[in-house]
Parts: sequence; C-alpha cells; structure tokens
Amino acid sequence: MRRMFILSVAISALIGANSVSAHHSFAMYDSTRQITLVGVVKELQWTNPHVWIEVLVPNATGGQDEWGVECTSVNFMTRRGFTKHTIKSGDKISVTISPLKDGSHGGSFKSINSLNDAPLILEPQD
Amino acid sequence: MRAVRLIVVAMSTSMLVLPVLIWAAAPGSKPTLTATYADATQPDISGLWVITGAMRFSPDQAQPKLLGEHQALYDKRTQAFKAGIAIDDQTAECLPAGLPHLLVVPYPFEIMQTPGRVTFLYEYDSAVRRVPLGQAVPPADADATSYDGDSYGHWEGDTLVIETINIRADTQLDFTGLPHSDALRVTERLRRKDATTLEDQITLTDPKAYAEPFTVTRLYRARPKWKISEYVCEENNRNKPDAQGRTGSGVPKVKSE
Repeated sequence: MRRMFILSVAISALIGANSVSAHHSFAMYDSTRQITLVGVVKELQWTNPHVWIEVLVPNATGGQDEWGVECTSVNFMTRRGFTKHTIKSGDKISVTISPLKDGSHGGSFKSINSLNDAPLILEPQD
Repeated sequence: MRAVRLIVVAMSTSMLVLPVLIWAAAPGSKPTLTATYADATQPDISGLWVITGAMRFSPDQAQPKLLGEHQALYDKRTQAFKAGIAIDDQTAECLPAGLPHLLVVPYPFEIMQTPGRVTFLYEYDSAVRRVPLGQAVPPADADATSYDGDSYGHWEGDTLVIETINIRADTQLDFTGLPHSDALRVTERLRRKDATTLEDQITLTDPKAYAEPFTVTRLYRARPKWKISEYVCEENNRNKPDAQGRTGSGVPKVKSE
C-alpha cells in the first residue's frame, strides 16, 4: 500500500501561499487555485534562485506530459527540511501546485506526498 | 486510456495571511562564525534577522499616493499582473531588487557593528549594504545612482537612523510593481524592540512620484541559529523576461488538454 508522508499544512502554506520568493513576481500563478499532480519525478533541479521539480504526468492520450514545479530557494527548502535527497528521479509523488494562469504545464509548489514505499522524511531544522 | 490524474483541490489561499516565521537551519557542516557586535559604543542590533509578515512593501496593503505618470505606470503593471503577466520586474533577470525592496525580501540578513559603521549582509543576492556613522548626508547626485543607493547613519538614543539617497528609478518597491523615482529618499529608524524583535520604521519621501511621504513599520525576528547561505541567482534562472519585459514561467507554452 501507499504510504503517504505529508508535509505539515504549515509548511506547505508557508511555501506556497505567501510565495516565498524574492527572485521574481508570481503573477503568472493562480494563487486562488490548487491542483494535485500524480506522476513520476523526472528530475529534481536543486538550484537557485529556485528549486524545480520536473514531473511526468500521464495525459489523456496515453502519453505523459512534463510539468515544471517551481519551488522556493535551496536555502528556504533546506530550512524546511527538504533536501536534495528528499526525492529523486523515478520516485512516485503527488505534488500540489498553484497552476500557471496561461494553462502551461507548470505551477508553484505547495506541498508534496510520497507515493513510494519508502517514507518521505521531512523534518524542519532548528 | 488513462485519464489525466489531476485532482482539483477546492482550497483557496490568501496571499497575505502568513507571518513568515519558520524553522531554523543549522547545518553541521558550516563554519561557526564569531560575534558581529564589535563596538560597545553602539546599541546592539547585531545578529541574524528575518522579516515577518507579508512579502509586499506594506504589510497592510497600504500604498503611497502616486502622482501622474507613476500612477499610470502602476495601473499598467497592476492590469498585467491580473492577467498573469509580470512586467518591468528586473529581479526576474537576476538584477538586484534594490532599495527599499531589499528591506522586505523574505531572506535573512546579518547586521555587523564595528567602529564607525554598521554593515548589512543579505542572503538575497549576497548583497551588502555599508552604512557609515556620523557623516553628513551630501546633496543627492542624479548622476551617481545605484540599486541600493548611498546610506548614511547616526544613532538617536536606541534608534539607528539611516538616510539613503541616489537610488535608481527603475526598481520596484515590491512584486506588486509599486514605482518610485530617482528622487526617492529612504529614511529608516531601526531599533531593537525587544530581545528577539528588530523594528524598522521606513519612510519613503519622493516628491516626483508620491504626493506625500509614505511610512511603514516592518518587524524582523532574531534567528540566532540560522546561517546565511550562498544564493546565486544566475545558477538556474528559468524566469528570464522576454523581449517585451514579461517574466517567463520557466515551462514550455503548451496548453493543458
């Protein structure tokens, strides 16, 4: 069975709703909506100014689409307990995002669940 | 056929509800630094701080009374924002936020106090602001503007007063796109409100762009266990603006099916 380990509501709210980003405006994201993508991690880009999670999501035509999920900076992800080893290519995840307003395959990161057997351990540092 | 597994969550979020008070990181692999307070003649505001409250210039959404072309510019940016497009946002090209935007970014900063000066070391962009103490503020020089301008400080009791002039006109107060002119003067009144709170009363005086001075008070929380980390914006910037100055989304323009 799936084991889900969910970031606390506080963490996801902090990262998402306030768009903790100083690098650029988040005008392109619809902060009034959230959608959850279920797919496989193609790549974790553990980089500044923002961390990106590329996710392959099955589409209606039997193929899959690549979605780009924009997170906050390496420093802020780390302070919340998300490290470069939290997820890796091939991991099954569900990730909740505020989608792009223009309908492109992307969104700003809100929260993430692991759908692997291995737990997704996220412990905010102090 | 497999359907797109897209679960719409009927949750709405508020952009503004969140005090950004989070967990500290103290990675064991980082070097330990010595104290940043080395001038006992100054009240102690040293240490590592991070802003609380909303990530816009004014936490309560108040804004300066904009004049003429500056109101028109803000209206244009607001209209674009509502359509999902950020314009004129140079931080998307990894250019500096500049003052006073730098005062309200969500990243921590460290204050170092040494004889005759106070130095602000920001995580964001690895920016540094050097504030000499006790020097007269010279007349503004429109030919010598910069992103963070020139800052001059002096102590009034427990309050560090910093005047900043010579700020470039092409930066924004925050990501809502609030403009200012090159006549902007930023007056900060910084004091340690209590052991773990730094207060900065920030007044913007800009006779070219604002009908009257505009003041906000921002609070910063002490984070003694945090360390400033490296932040290099150019490492993987997927949001470069296009030729029209519109911030990029970082993903290919493919419509959802």
